[in-house]
Amino acid sequence: MDTTKSQFEVDVGKTPEQLLIERQQRVSDAIQLKQPDRIPLMMGMGYKLAEMGGITKQELYENPQKAQELLEKAALRYKPDLIFGHWHTPKPSIAVGDRMTKWPGYGLAPNGSFQFNEQEFMKAEDYDEFLEDPADWAIRVYTPRAFQNCQGLALLPPLGMWAFGYYNILLNYQLLTLPPVVSAFEALYKAAQYQSEWLNQALESAKRLAALGFPPFTMLSILVEAPFDFMSDTLRGMRGIFLDMMRIPEKLLAAEEKVKRFQLKYAISTSKATGIPFVFIPLHRGSDGFMSLEQFERFYWPQLKDMMLQLIEAGITPWVYYEGVWDQRLKYLAELPKGKSIGSFQDSNIFKVKEVVGQTMCIIGGMPLTYLKPGRSPSEVRELTHRLCEEVGKGGGFVMANNVMELEGCDENLIQVWTDATREFGVYSA
Amino acid sequence: MSQELIQAITEMREEDALKITQQMLDAGKDPLEVLEACRQAMEVIGKRFEAGDCFIPELILAGEMLRQVSDLIKPRLQKEATQKKHGKVVIGTVEGDIHDIAKDIVAFMLDVNGFEVTDLGVDVPPAKFVEATKETGAKVVALSGFLTLAYDPMKATVEALKAAGLNDVKVMIGGGQIDEQIRQFTGADGWGRDAMAAVKMANAWYGVN
Repeated sequence: MDTTKSQFEVDVGKTPEQLLIERQQRVSDAIQLKQPDRIPLMMGMGYKLAEMGGITKQELYENPQKAQELLEKAALRYKPDLIFGHWHTPKPSIAVGDRMTKWPGYGLAPNGSFQFNEQEFMKAEDYDEFLEDPADWAIRVYTPRAFQNCQGLALLPPLGMWAFGYYNILLNYQLLTLPPVVSAFEALYKAAQYQSEWLNQALESAKRLAALGFPPFTMLSILVEAPFDFMSDTLRGMRGIFLDMMRIPEKLLAAEEKVKRFQLKYAISTSKATGIPFVFIPLHRGSDGFMSLEQFERFYWPQLKDMMLQLIEAGITPWVYYEGVWDQRLKYLAELPKGKSIGSFQDSNIFKVKEVVGQTMCIIGGMPLTYLKPGRSPSEVRELTHRLCEEVGKGGGFVMANNVMELEGCDENLIQVWTDATREFGVYSA
Repeated sequence: MSQELIQAITEMREEDALKITQQMLDAGKDPLEVLEACRQAMEVIGKRFEAGDCFIPELILAGEMLRQVSDLIKPRLQKEATQKKHGKVVIGTVEGDIHDIAKDIVAFMLDVNGFEVTDLGVDVPPAKFVEATKETGAKVVALSGFLTLAYDPMKATVEALKAAGLNDVKVMIGGGQIDEQIRQFTGADGWGRDAMAAVKMANAWYGVN
């Protein structure tokens, strides 16, 4: 690599159209484990946008125009190859009375950060009903528990009755006029409208970024979870799932099989309908420290691996976010087919990651948030960036990124040092 | 029988542990003997956890076993016969953060390792930490935070304790994104990655061998 000149000046004078094509190519090459012209840079700005704009996080959600301006400002300042802002919008959650998320201004102070409030919405004694008919259980039992404004759904007859045609009209349609049922459907409709409004904003945002030369960021659009995490995050909670592992392992395994199947159906059909070739899989309880390797080999990895293989078989690239530390588990990741998945790494030893899975998957990550906090020195940031480019970037297949997809509380000048250094040290010599 | 109970708990045989407890009580054994067996079992599990030989599922199941055992012995336990504690610890997840899983595990491990734990819950403002520390006379405060946003409230809590004149109180921090840099930033006395690190710090600060 040429480390003698500051390469970020190279882009000066290029049109947004040119830059868009170059950036897309750079990212696409890295994903395919090829060596691009230089290491692509991805930035998850998160709530940094609110700090930059001097507004609260609540305002960031409630003023999409302002949020877009701030995102564009960040993009033009730091010139990454991929950029995204804060996560989603609270409106649909508020409409349905979502009990598992908390948002700035809704369940939190206006400057609080989005949080997932894990609870035991599914009890251990629910397994049999869940296994017998997950869809019926999800609509009539789970949704009323997890979404306060949807309690009326508990009054519906077993969903299988819908297969009874005319007789179902005769026997059950009057239930749809019951006030709690009506208000549940109204809440769902309202949430759907908000969701659709948000999607239109996201598409508009992508268009505006593209006009400035920044590729649309669609990678997070289709989300599924490792079957174990699906059972844990929104259903049993961590305490519940670990007790299930010890007390009723066979039921947990059977449930994982079920959720794997319908998640695959969902992901594959959505990918076909939208043309989005990525499926995002954030991982939670499989990282080092939660369970033993033996437990991982029984309850976590086989189900996740099978899910990934089936997605790959369907022409989809799984983008997996390996949250936490995966240092003891990297050898499993090396079993995946080469060049067919993407791995974002949070706190794993990124140099070790390159060594073990560098030939298997495109690696995203590298810059720990703690390096960019006020008080760290620019030379530290520059040195680490240099080392990341040299070692993790070696031969391609690397996208430089901040490790937690969030830059809240980071020093803007240190961010600049990092992004500049990535362009300076990230150039591949021909 | 104590030995059998220790073995049942450490081998994660939940039903056996409860059965043996019941047998011990039926045979007229002192409830404190049962508690002592539980303590020894937890010591073994804690060591295994520290060594990476057992993980969170085992800690959670052990916690469940302990809860059920203590439910069984509670009616027979004399108030004055409770076990002697090493010292008091005030624990909570800092303001703005509602994550409780890690905090609960740390509180549990401190408790079974002989500390009297005051758990303030989640989203705890600095003033509440100060108040509880004064009230209990605890010399150790444990701050938990999963989010990166926890750094500032941690710092604010450390400062609030100092401002209230509680200079002899030691503060430990822990959570997803905590390291030595963050410890320095917050002004805390120690940081740790897991529940056993918290126990070790509390032991050291209270002079427990």
